Amino acid sequence: MLTFFLKRLLGLLPTLAIVAVLVFLFVHMLPGDPARLAAGQDADQQTVELVRAELGLDRSLPEQFGRYFLNMARGDAGLSIRTRRPVATEIGERFLPTLLLTLTSMAWAVAFGLVIGIVSAVYRNEWPDRLGMTLAVSGISFPAFALGMLLMQIFSVGLGWLPTVGAGSWQHYILPSLTLGAAVAAVMARFTRASFVEVLGEDFVRTARAKGLKERVVIAKHCLRNALIPVVTMMGLQFGFLLGGSIVVEAVFNWPGVGRLLVDAVNQRDYPVIQALVLMFSLEFILINLVVDLLYGLINPTIRYK
Amino acid sequence: MTQTALTATKAVAAIPTGVRTPWSEFWRKFRRQHVAVVALAFVVLLVAVAILAPWIAPYDAETFFDYDRINEGPSLAHWLGVDPLGRDILSRILVGGRISLATGFLSVAIGGLIGTVLGLLAGYYEGWWDRLVMRLSDVLFAFPGILLALGVVAILGSSLVNVVVAVSVFSVPAFARLVRGNTLVLKRATYVEAARSIGASDRTILTRHILPGTVSSIVVYFTMRLGTSIITAASLSFLGMGAQPPTPEWGAMLNDARADMVSSPHVAIFPSLAIFLTVLAFNLLGDGLRDALDPKLDRA
Amino acid sequence: MLIRSLLATGLLCGLLASPVASALAAGDPVLVIGVPPETLDPYNTNTTLTTAVTKSFYEGLFEFDKDLKVRNVLAESYEVTPDGLTYTFKLREGVKFHDGTAFDANAVKANLERVLNPENRLARYNQFNRVKTVEVVSPFVVRITLKEPFGPFINSLAHASAAMISPAALQKWGKDIAFHPVGTGPFIFVEWKQTDSVKGARFADYWQAGLPKVDAITWKPVPENGTRAAMLQTGEADFAFPLPYEQAKSLGENKKLKVIAQDSIIERYVSMNMLQKPFDDLRVRQAINYAINKEALAKVAFSGYASPAKGIVPAGVLYAHPMNAWPYDPAKARQLLKEAGYANGFETTLWSAYTTSTAQKAIQFVQQQLAQVGIKVQTQALEPGQRVEWVQTAPDPKTARVRMYYAGWSSSTGEADWALRPLFATEAWPPKLNNTAYYSNPEVDALLAKALVSTKDEERAELYAKAQELIYKDAPWAPLVIEQNLYATSSRLSGVVVMPDGNIDSRQVAVAP
Repeated sequence: MLTFFLKRLLGLLPTLAIVAVLVFLFVHMLPGDPARLAAGQDADQQTVELVRAELGLDRSLPEQFGRYFLNMARGDAGLSIRTRRPVATEIGERFLPTLLLTLTSMAWAVAFGLVIGIVSAVYRNEWPDRLGMTLAVSGISFPAFALGMLLMQIFSVGLGWLPTVGAGSWQHYILPSLTLGAAVAAVMARFTRASFVEVLGEDFVRTARAKGLKERVVIAKHCLRNALIPVVTMMGLQFGFLLGGSIVVEAVFNWPGVGRLLVDAVNQRDYPVIQALVLMFSLEFILINLVVDLLYGLINPTIRYK
Repeated sequence: MTQTALTATKAVAAIPTGVRTPWSEFWRKFRRQHVAVVALAFVVLLVAVAILAPWIAPYDAETFFDYDRINEGPSLAHWLGVDPLGRDILSRILVGGRISLATGFLSVAIGGLIGTVLGLLAGYYEGWWDRLVMRLSDVLFAFPGILLALGVVAILGSSLVNVVVAVSVFSVPAFARLVRGNTLVLKRATYVEAARSIGASDRTILTRHILPGTVSSIVVYFTMRLGTSIITAASLSFLGMGAQPPTPEWGAMLNDARADMVSSPHVAIFPSLAIFLTVLAFNLLGDGLRDALDPKLDRA
Repeated sequence: MLIRSLLATGLLCGLLASPVASALAAGDPVLVIGVPPETLDPYNTNTTLTTAVTKSFYEGLFEFDKDLKVRNVLAESYEVTPDGLTYTFKLREGVKFHDGTAFDANAVKANLERVLNPENRLARYNQFNRVKTVEVVSPFVVRITLKEPFGPFINSLAHASAAMISPAALQKWGKDIAFHPVGTGPFIFVEWKQTDSVKGARFADYWQAGLPKVDAITWKPVPENGTRAAMLQTGEADFAFPLPYEQAKSLGENKKLKVIAQDSIIERYVSMNMLQKPFDDLRVRQAINYAINKEALAKVAFSGYASPAKGIVPAGVLYAHPMNAWPYDPAKARQLLKEAGYANGFETTLWSAYTTSTAQKAIQFVQQQLAQVGIKVQTQALEPGQRVEWVQTAPDPKTARVRMYYAGWSSSTGEADWALRPLFATEAWPPKLNNTAYYSNPEVDALLAKALVSTKDEERAELYAKAQELIYKDAPWAPLVIEQNLYATSSRLSGVVVMPDGNIDSRQVAVAP
């Protein structure tokens, strides 16, 4: 298992290199001249050229690529085109708020989703199941923007219990994580239910029941472990999504996270920031999915790693 | 109940009563779930409405407007109220169903199909193929949605077809990972080992033994994803992709309502409700299908 | 390596971001704006709201008052030679920079020479590039010589970007002056947390007696419209600009708030690409002007916070020449289309330069209106990169894809030159500037060029009036509306005013206890 882990970590490098190449080509292919965007609409041609030279965008594409790749390999992500600050600083100061928001959202969403899912499966096709389903579906059909605004109108403007923007205290986390977690909780609930329904029909569950075990024990000991594989996969996927920073939630709650940074960077064609962010996202995905693969083995010991 | 059962069986497959084909068996089990039947009826109704919308909508969804009634709530003349540009919300929801259903369903179906095949193969064969597929899906995941969408516009131009392409691409890696995870477990199940030991081909094992085992995950994700993709398609129209205003489309209607939803909530509530009911119907239908397809449940 | 430094800075910033700061700021005003400043170097930005923030720390020789009239600040008076080439400024004495050094003629020289040096690659270079030399005559007298006469010169010095930075600080920080502003303004720079706010503290040695009236000021960028409105209601913001027009009414009913709407100098228009059929035909352009109901547009897209444009240049701009708004007359529009050979209308595209909800509404409205006279329009709101690629940097005018284009313009110097030349001069065709109508009239070009080098007020007024009349007749645009600046303050706040150009004057900011 350790060798598997190390091998996978080593395998990271070529993947990251490929991502680096792809994203470089990709951003340069997008329409829009970063120099022009940075100079603003009052600027004339001459000023745009000054800005272009300042940003190093007047060099040939292969030369730009060479510099970018060498710098990346050395761990230097360069300066942001938009703010002229180091990209590492820009991302660094936003990484933690996004991570914390992701963790809180995931925590409540998974807990909530698991409970609703298990209850729904146990009372399959009865009213708790229907209620759970209705809740889950409403979780995804109300767009995050509307949900966030609604929560803010009720709890901040109406009742005055919670702050609207910022990330300074634990109260700041409540509304954004509720908004962000709603869709995750919905998907988790539906997945847990489906998985449990499947497992509850298995022979070993009947055997356990036949042995006279309490239903609670049957569910906790025999079903949970076996039902977890798709649930864990989904968890990994959703976690990855959230780490990318939710653009909408971060905008509504003015969250100082990477999602807003990404939007600004894409809008301004801030190449260095986009490139570094995409590299970071892929690294996160690979690591999370590595963890998920390891969890598979813990949950179901027949899955071995080569 | 028995009467309808008989006519239904006849109608469906024109097979002699009493003979149990897999299809009649499925139908028999499906029909027992009343909620799922209602959901099916609703989906059929939705499709019918989507097709007939231009004829049943009370007003023209695009060209009718009344600037004196902007953001007015529901009334006799406008059952679901008027939107910020003076258009009839009911008409727009009816007509918009066509685009939303088509793009939502198609894109998830395509993404789901490709993802499922990739996931099955990756989970079953493991090794380099697995690594390749999973790394590719990591790369796809890592590309933020807006970037991908802008890229699609840059390469392919902006059209509804490209929205389907973009949303399908978003869906592929999730389905691939999901199916792969299940396959990893199922291929070690005793019945699969048994099938292999009697010399069943990989193809048979995959399609007959492993795929059915992952169907419930796929169906659940498929039906949930449908709602997400309708909303995603809307955010794409913000980037200049796909349905451009005033084409009615549920997600785009929600986007248009952003500025007005605090002062006139109905402009956001009704399109949301349309998405909610549709996704709910598809979820109930999916659960019903799954139950009807599950051989084990019959015994319970 | 990259990862490690990322994590390290992340952790560090997380630890530093303690809630202490917010507790301290209670009582001091929090001003919320819609755009995050990208720099605090006023010479390196083209964003109006960025200079609204830098004005807390910096002042120039002149400034605009709330009616966009030029007012002396660090200059006490000036004289100009009759040929319009040499300006002599008498500077205010006894003014100190935040770092304790004195403001004098050397500071003016240092600042202007900095922006004029192409090596420094500053975004405001073209605002000053007519300056030939800057000489120090005596410690408080400075002489500026221009390469050619330039009418709007004083106005360009009154623009918020023409700020006086402490030469000592420039020496010390170099390019990093953007992160460490040191000026003569009412507030000393305290900190800039890019993800949260810009903070300033009272400058005790400020030259204007009795100012500033508060101990500290906080600028908080919040890009989401609805969120700014919510912050006003919860009391987390004392001032917010801009606000969503849709919520103006409900905010106005809140007794704790004062909602204010004032005419801006931002004109919204649709330009038509005159190099392309059918917009090469004057009758088609006139028809489009007749087909759009501007009153209704103001009501639908701007919730009433706009008024039909009276001519090409908004009334608040110096040398504006008000004319009648195009009357709404769809019958006449259909008639004109028929005469032009488009009895059955035609199909075209309408792009918007922005993706805001107001812009989305406006283009859909125009689309509805044009459909009434048979013109089928496909709309698309352009994302910034697309806008730059497809409109602003289209290399060849003949193949440019832009047809009808919804945009807005505000003259940053507050006078007619910058409201006309970048939009209507032949030399301003993209990719150079913003003449997206590809309008070209030699007579207009000549008038604009002549007015630019004239230094006589009456003559300039006359030249600009003539140019505006010609343009109006040629109808390269469908001028739509002049929008209003909508903002609100808490009832305890006073002294913060949004100016017609969308900048903010916050020098007098005060809070009632």
